Amino acid sequence: MNVLKTMGKFFYNAFTIAELEVRKIRHDQTQIWMRMVQPALWLIIYGETMSKLNAMNSSIPSGLTYLQFMTPGVLAQSALFVAIFFGINVVWERDLGLLNKLLSTPASRSSIILGKALSAGVRGILQSIAIVILALILRIHLILNPVHLAGVFLIVILLGMCFSCVSMALASIFRTRERMMGIGQAITMPLFFASSAIYPLAIMPSWIQPFARINPLTYVVDALRGLLATGNLASLPIDIFAIALATVVFLILASLGLKRMVS
Amino acid sequence: MEDKAVIVQDLVKEYPRVKALDGVSFSVDKGEIFGLLGPNGAGKTTMIRVLLTLIKPTSGKTLIYDIDTARNSQEVRSICGYVPQDVSADGDLTAYENVLIYSKLYAMPRKERKERINQVLEYLELTNRANDMVNTFSGGMMRRLEIAQALVNRPRVLFLDEPSIGLDPNARRIIWDLIKKLRNEFGTTIFMTTHDMNEADVLCDRIGIMNRGHLATLDKPSELKSSVGGDIISITSGNRNCYSKLVELGYSTITNTADGRCDLVVKNGETLIPQLLDSLKTAGIQVESVSLKKPNLDDVFLKYTGARIEEGDTFADTRRTRRVFTRLTK
Repeated sequence: MNVLKTMGKFFYNAFTIAELEVRKIRHDQTQIWMRMVQPALWLIIYGETMSKLNAMNSSIPSGLTYLQFMTPGVLAQSALFVAIFFGINVVWERDLGLLNKLLSTPASRSSIILGKALSAGVRGILQSIAIVILALILRIHLILNPVHLAGVFLIVILLGMCFSCVSMALASIFRTRERMMGIGQAITMPLFFASSAIYPLAIMPSWIQPFARINPLTYVVDALRGLLATGNLASLPIDIFAIALATVVFLILASLGLKRMVS
Repeated sequence: MEDKAVIVQDLVKEYPRVKALDGVSFSVDKGEIFGLLGPNGAGKTTMIRVLLTLIKPTSGKTLIYDIDTARNSQEVRSICGYVPQDVSADGDLTAYENVLIYSKLYAMPRKERKERINQVLEYLELTNRANDMVNTFSGGMMRRLEIAQALVNRPRVLFLDEPSIGLDPNARRIIWDLIKKLRNEFGTTIFMTTHDMNEADVLCDRIGIMNRGHLATLDKPSELKSSVGGDIISITSGNRNCYSKLVELGYSTITNTADGRCDLVVKNGETLIPQLLDSLKTAGIQVESVSLKKPNLDDVFLKYTGARIEEGDTFADTRRTRRVFTRLTK
């Protein structure tokens, strides 16, 4: 009974922190629109160009156009970008005093981290809605049945949580906004390129492939592609397991790091 | 023990390069306005953060309402309120939302929530701005909102870190009145830090003077001031022998600055000045100026720490942060 009560409180606090984020987004929606620019460019310019390459077309799963293949990758990328810079928010909140005040409430440190991670997930959902709309406008054919879309949202929430925790864990080590800017820049591209987001693993340089296999983003893209493009869900359980595992690990690391943030 | 709100025993907090707290012990009574006074880096903020279980002390013990902060940190946090010295209200939300989030984190029952939030906003005279975005607020309103957030769970101990820092005199006066009102109406124990002598003097029932991690002294402001020993006469003279002559005449001097100023502590300064000037004249020492001053906390500080309190880095930093914040949110 007591355990249930503690758990209930834990999640209630986490959802409260996420609610804070949702309320912020509601007050200021400009950044949602701003964040649509980059994925649109990837799809319209990069996607259109690359779909003319024979090597690319022959290596993607048959029956898919390159744009269909790439859209889940672009979705994953745009949600990743939101999450990976999330640590900057936390550093900013620490510099202001918001973080200290949050930590002085009875809410536990890990529930605060979970709440922040969920916030990144929420932003990821908005991002995926935007990209699905974008894909409809560009007439990219996607599987849009409600069950699959729910799956997409689940994966995107996990993606946001996983990489925002990576970012928050890094923030506790690097501690300044400037450094976090640099770190974010330095890790997003390797993560993005060492995944199957914009090309199949098979045609990537062989030395990167092992990295791609331990990159959580690869599993995210695989799951999203199954749900949105191919409809093949055979590897979905493994994908979800891999992403959930990474999320839990980084959630723990970020919670441990939070103590370092404020001292 | 029963009438104590806060008890601190032999508290030590060591950082790799400095000892922020070096064996501090004191206690705060229930319903008291207690102030820690000291320059930046004295360990005041560290003290608050240890009490609020935000950082772990190296050694020592702290109790809040007889709850051991090391053993039961969540319980301690649930009976305390905290207003950090930096900006802690979220500019991207409305005032109501800012308080709402905290009422939830303090696990306030859903039924009471709305009423309680409105009460606290009204108490701080923010009702008519409740649904405005906080980034349109002035510094004083922002501070009041931050206090509202900390009050929503009706804390037994309210921790205020430099409550009037960066505020204009008018807003500062409002905050002071509010702090007094809180204690008088609800019996809330107030634990505050400040580096402003005047603020400590006006507000606090008792003041602890901190310097470099030590508690130099602790008493009522009036007692502290009379402990200086009387009035202070400052004499400036171009003659270098002025200081040694004064010592020779049997006066107790507390400072002798490089620019030729000597501060003496005397009883009945008004009647002593003519006599003092005569003796110096006979000794052949030309006096350039004389001033008489009743002791204030600055002199108390000087007496116990051997230094004048100064505005250091942290204050400037805070002001900068507040400015940057306002700029970014406008």
